[in-house]
Amino acid sequence: MSRRTLKAVLIDLSGTLHIEDAVVPGAQEALARLRQSPVTVKFVTNTTKECKRTLFERLRRLNFDLQEREIFTSLTAARNLLEQRAVRPLLLVEDSALEDFTGLETSDPNAVVIGLAPEHFNYQTLNKAFRLILDGAPLIAIHKARYYKRKDGLALGPGPFVTGLEYATDTKATVVGKPEKAFFLEALRDLNCSPEETVMIGDDARDDVGGAQNAGMLGILVKTGKYRPGDEGKINPPPHLTCDSFPEAVNHILEHLLGSK
Amino acid sequence: MRMRTCVSSMAAGSSMEWLKSVKGVILDMCGVLYDSGEGGGQAIHGSIEAVKRLMDSGLIVRFCTNETQNTREKFVQKLRAMGFDISVSHVFSPAPALVRILRERRLRPHLLVHDDLMPEFDDVDTSSPNCVVIGDAADKFSYQNLNEAFRVLIGLEKPLLFSLGQGRYYKETDGLKLDVGVFMKALEYACDVQAEVVGKPSADFFQTVLNDMSLQPHEAVMIGDDLLNDVGGAQRCGMKGIQVRTGKYRPSDEKHPSVRADGYVDDLAAATDAILTNH
Repeated sequence: MSRRTLKAVLIDLSGTLHIEDAVVPGAQEALARLRQSPVTVKFVTNTTKECKRTLFERLRRLNFDLQEREIFTSLTAARNLLEQRAVRPLLLVEDSALEDFTGLETSDPNAVVIGLAPEHFNYQTLNKAFRLILDGAPLIAIHKARYYKRKDGLALGPGPFVTGLEYATDTKATVVGKPEKAFFLEALRDLNCSPEETVMIGDDARDDVGGAQNAGMLGILVKTGKYRPGDEGKINPPPHLTCDSFPEAVNHILEHLLGSK
Repeated sequence: MRMRTCVSSMAAGSSMEWLKSVKGVILDMCGVLYDSGEGGGQAIHGSIEAVKRLMDSGLIVRFCTNETQNTREKFVQKLRAMGFDISVSHVFSPAPALVRILRERRLRPHLLVHDDLMPEFDDVDTSSPNCVVIGDAADKFSYQNLNEAFRVLIGLEKPLLFSLGQGRYYKETDGLKLDVGVFMKALEYACDVQAEVVGKPSADFFQTVLNDMSLQPHEAVMIGDDLLNDVGGAQRCGMKGIQVRTGKYRPSDEKHPSVRADGYVDDLAAATDAILTNH
């Protein structure tokens, strides 16, 4: 299969470059080697709780060489969509994520944004969101995760509440995070390259690799983070490559994907 | 005169002639008899009189509600205090029907229901739950309570969720509010299961009412404000369904892609005029 020259590499954060505050061995050097090649690098993540600055500071503390503007999150994707549509959002997101929405007008809202925000998922606030949507406000979901793991057990994610509001209003939410195609395409918007010229590296078979490949990119699945044996068999088509970790993924890119010499 | 309102609201060519073969009427309650809200709510104009006229007419009258913010007894008490002349034995609601099901299938529920509904479950064993029941819990639909219900459900070997109705929203005096169906969908999505719905629009529920009336479906008409769950549900059982323009009604209900009511009337009083004209 012929491919155009590789121009961009999208890299997942948690589980791929680091696990909590532990760096994946060799990841910093691998990133440095990747930066010596002609590709553009972007860091992509589905966070709903952490603003870009927090993510950036953590990565700098772990000695990764990057700039804040190279980080693209599902919150950024939501903000871009709100700006494109020129709407005023009711933000059902955690306080720690609000920073990524500064500058947007939020009084007299005519759009609803739902992230992971347990303190907003109460009857009163949900009713408020419901009435806005019924009146025509678009419903934007950062992502639709069913649940996540907390220290005290499993906890409902934003997905169930988005689904409930879709049912209540007979509308469909616009989901902006992984694995939506829109997320991956939006990540490329300022890079001047197409999905066919891009590789995504991540530890989540469905959300990272499956989503990216569905958008026309090549996907490399790394066996760190949330990877479980057999994950590569759960998506169709399978990952372009499954390898041990980020450094091996970079090796593969440098050796095989940079196009004709 | 009210007649004018009725005729102008019907589809061209339709005069609800089928009303001639109707022997029984099933009335939805919230949105037809009264609007709920502060202080228990208030009667809808003309409804108290309409109910009396229907009951005096010789037609068999029953009440079918998905109301689960109160026990049947308390609920009927509230309506009688408003002036409605109805008795508990003529009112069908989901909680008693569910309690029968729990007993038959030997199930012990984790309950996420309104505090005032709890007495319906006084004789039900709720220890070591092997299923989850949700009703219209209103303000009790907190993240914490929903999370608790979710954890019980996802922890079951065979996740079993009962929902008392599946309504999307209802009207209170201060606006529209989310109904149990929304939270049913939320838990269904979270656990990847399908809930069993007890109450409208379940066919079993309507059949229970028809059995009590000793009528065949085609001999009964359902009057409601919820196009999908009252009217659509009744029609799927073989009954006729009339949509009132009170309660949670919205103009878009008259352009729904799949449910077409057998009649659209302004309110219960207008529906009653139409029915009694044909008798």
